[in-house]
Amino acid sequence: MMRTVEILLVVMIITSAFIVASLFAVLPSPRQVSPINLRRLALTTLQTLDVDYDLSATMFKNATDDPAWGQLQIALSACLPPNIVYNLTVYEVQSGQTQLYKPIKSISNAESLGVSSDSSSYLVASSNVTFSAVPEKIGEHGEGGTLYILNCSDANGWWITGYTAPSLVQDLNNLLSPYFQTTIMIQNTTQLAQILNGTSIQNEALKNAVVINTFGEAVPIPSGYYASTNVGYDSGQNSYARYCHTLGQRVRQYNWTWVSIVGYPLYYVSNKGLFPDEQNDWGIYGMRSVGPAGLNAFFRGLDNQAYSYNSNWITDSRGVVYLSSQVLYDCNYYGIYPSPYHTATRALPTSILSTYHLNVTTYVFSPTSGWIPGAVYRNAVSGGLLALGLTRTPDIRLTALGLLCDYKPRIYRSDYTTSGTSRLVVLQLGQVGGI
Amino acid sequence: MTGATIDHMVSVTVFLGAILLFISLFNQTIQTAIIYQRHRYLATKCSDLLDSMLLNPGEPIEWGKGNSTPTSFGLQDPEFTQYRLSPFSLMRLQSLTGTPFTYPRTGVTYSNLSMGFGNFLFVPYTTAINYSTASRLVGTNNTYGFQLSITPIVTVSIEETHAANPLTLTIKVAGAGFPLSNSEISYCFLKVNEKGGNNNPSYVSLFGTTYADDKGSAVVSIQNVNTDTAYAFIAYAHISGLVGTGYHERVSDDKQYVLPLIDSFGDKRVLLVHSYNVHDFGPPESSVFFNATFVLLTEDFTLREMPMENSTGKLGKVVYGQGTDKQWSNVTIPTYNPGILIVTYQSNNEYGVVLMPWGISSMAFPISFGISPTEAEWVTTDARQVIVGGIAYQAKLALWSLQGSQVIS
Repeated sequence: MMRTVEILLVVMIITSAFIVASLFAVLPSPRQVSPINLRRLALTTLQTLDVDYDLSATMFKNATDDPAWGQLQIALSACLPPNIVYNLTVYEVQSGQTQLYKPIKSISNAESLGVSSDSSSYLVASSNVTFSAVPEKIGEHGEGGTLYILNCSDANGWWITGYTAPSLVQDLNNLLSPYFQTTIMIQNTTQLAQILNGTSIQNEALKNAVVINTFGEAVPIPSGYYASTNVGYDSGQNSYARYCHTLGQRVRQYNWTWVSIVGYPLYYVSNKGLFPDEQNDWGIYGMRSVGPAGLNAFFRGLDNQAYSYNSNWITDSRGVVYLSSQVLYDCNYYGIYPSPYHTATRALPTSILSTYHLNVTTYVFSPTSGWIPGAVYRNAVSGGLLALGLTRTPDIRLTALGLLCDYKPRIYRSDYTTSGTSRLVVLQLGQVGGI
Repeated sequence: MTGATIDHMVSVTVFLGAILLFISLFNQTIQTAIIYQRHRYLATKCSDLLDSMLLNPGEPIEWGKGNSTPTSFGLQDPEFTQYRLSPFSLMRLQSLTGTPFTYPRTGVTYSNLSMGFGNFLFVPYTTAINYSTASRLVGTNNTYGFQLSITPIVTVSIEETHAANPLTLTIKVAGAGFPLSNSEISYCFLKVNEKGGNNNPSYVSLFGTTYADDKGSAVVSIQNVNTDTAYAFIAYAHISGLVGTGYHERVSDDKQYVLPLIDSFGDKRVLLVHSYNVHDFGPPESSVFFNATFVLLTEDFTLREMPMENSTGKLGKVVYGQGTDKQWSNVTIPTYNPGILIVTYQSNNEYGVVLMPWGISSMAFPISFGISPTEAEWVTTDARQVIVGGIAYQAKLALWSLQGSQVIS
């Protein structure tokens, strides 16, 4: 009999455990199990109403008697499903006050939003206010910060069809100078030789600088030392590919980022005084063809390898290429909007990465099966190259974007919480009906 | 001794019975909790998948404007951010609801997105994205089934309340849950001129603006329209950022007409074919002469005609049968901006007009894409408000598991 009593006690204990467990294990209601994402619905509703800035305009209208508020209420009621109730509250954003958000208007279509609701907030700015944006200067918190733009009056460009180097220089200056501590136009090949020698032009920081070659596939070459045998001239091959090797060495020495804006980098060398009677096979005088040997020599110099003449063509035509996701994202951040696709006829092979100890720090264009249409390459030790292997004509915005994406200077935008210029709109949604 | 044995047997029996009972009770609670948990997971997946479709443009990003199959599925308009969808990517989705048909002269089968007679949209299956492709690209094949519905938030319905001169049309504007009181309505009235003979019809257009009353209703009267005049009426209603569109046509002949079929998105080419060639009923009928024009919706919600060169095929005729005459004509849309292709036609002194949206938003066509959730154990839905070509839409995704009652992780 005792065992039966004990078992009954056990049954009572288990029953109690089950009751207690059932009390705590409260299952959610079906609405909580499969809810409409009210937060997203609220946000997208606000975005829909602000598609032509109508919402922003209404928020700054007289909250007591302007008919725009009535229209907003009609639009809100119309665009939400019938089983959704809402409460839209507008706050004035104040600064220097103990109360940061001051409610100024609230509209709703129900007394209560039910047992569960969710909300999204949306900041709108007055159209009467102009906001400023202050960019961070590259090198502000470290080394470098100098932008050299080649504007050599004694050189000619190639594959910059439709532009001249000075016009490109002007555009680049407008786009990029706000992001650099110092911007210097290299006005002639003498000044180019000066910085290659390690002497600054205006006491700027020479190391870690960015050098943009605006001459397309041609590169200005200073006469004298940099055109001399075994420095700029390879007498054995009768080629100025040696100059490109020296250039690569200087880029490595000063940790520069050399920028080629279009086509095959360093395909020609140009100096009107040095080559007055020579032309690039296409009728442009003051220029001499180096061919693929120029880029090969540059890479060897950049990687501190000994000079050797190599005229093998290393690029490939990849047709239409698309901006990388990173660059597309940064288009919005920096407010630069080039076409998202271009034609690449001089894409570089990925094999150069291992051959010359390069790392890609920024893909300007998405790579296509073993080929890189545009990217920033950095040597494992020092120096880098931004090469955009696109066909002519160059889009200088791509150069600017490539550099900005790589250096990532921040933009400090003016305070949106300035009193009277911004309003916070909070849309709270609730579901009615059902369980 | 006997009593102890009985006591032992009774106690063991009671104990085993109680244990079995409680195991089944606990098991039931746990099973219910697991099912709830799985449904909760499905709801989260639905929200994520919807955002994934709406917040990326796919790859290539302009796939909606070409004929190739995308390698990544997304519907966002690449020119914008946030929840703004490409009207052309949506147009390339294979409709779940429309009855497809095959044009017998070319053997091409078309996805049917049309909204009744006169408001046609046919996309060839060869360029329309089907469900299995999309499902594979978003990674739900064999694991989840989905149905994506993109429907306009604002409904603009137009009804002819007086057919004789003056023509009176009543416009009703409503949203998802409320009439759009006092909304501004911009409209375009396009009347087909009766020229007779073997001539391409011409047309006159009239633009105007009116306002809806408190019930979201407005009345428009048009002079010099009699009971057999063919016309098209297109209205855009807007209030506080919400924009919707509606349309209405009257034709004097709905048997012999011109049917627009999209031929190539990449080349912006549309085939205009004789209706008898499509339906293939009856004996050979006379030619249908047409005049095609293209209109754009401007920022102030008025329609603006975009000139088309004669070389684009804007004037021509289509015939039924196997003769030497052309059985179909080509017309080239001049732009990738969303607009409406308006084709006026006449045959045997019978007149009419048909419309085709270029970009699904210009006529606020809805689209339902995916498969039907029949026999699904649990279907979860989520919704977003989106903008397509300036028109307010609601995107709703229904998602269900294809793997029975197993928990998917």
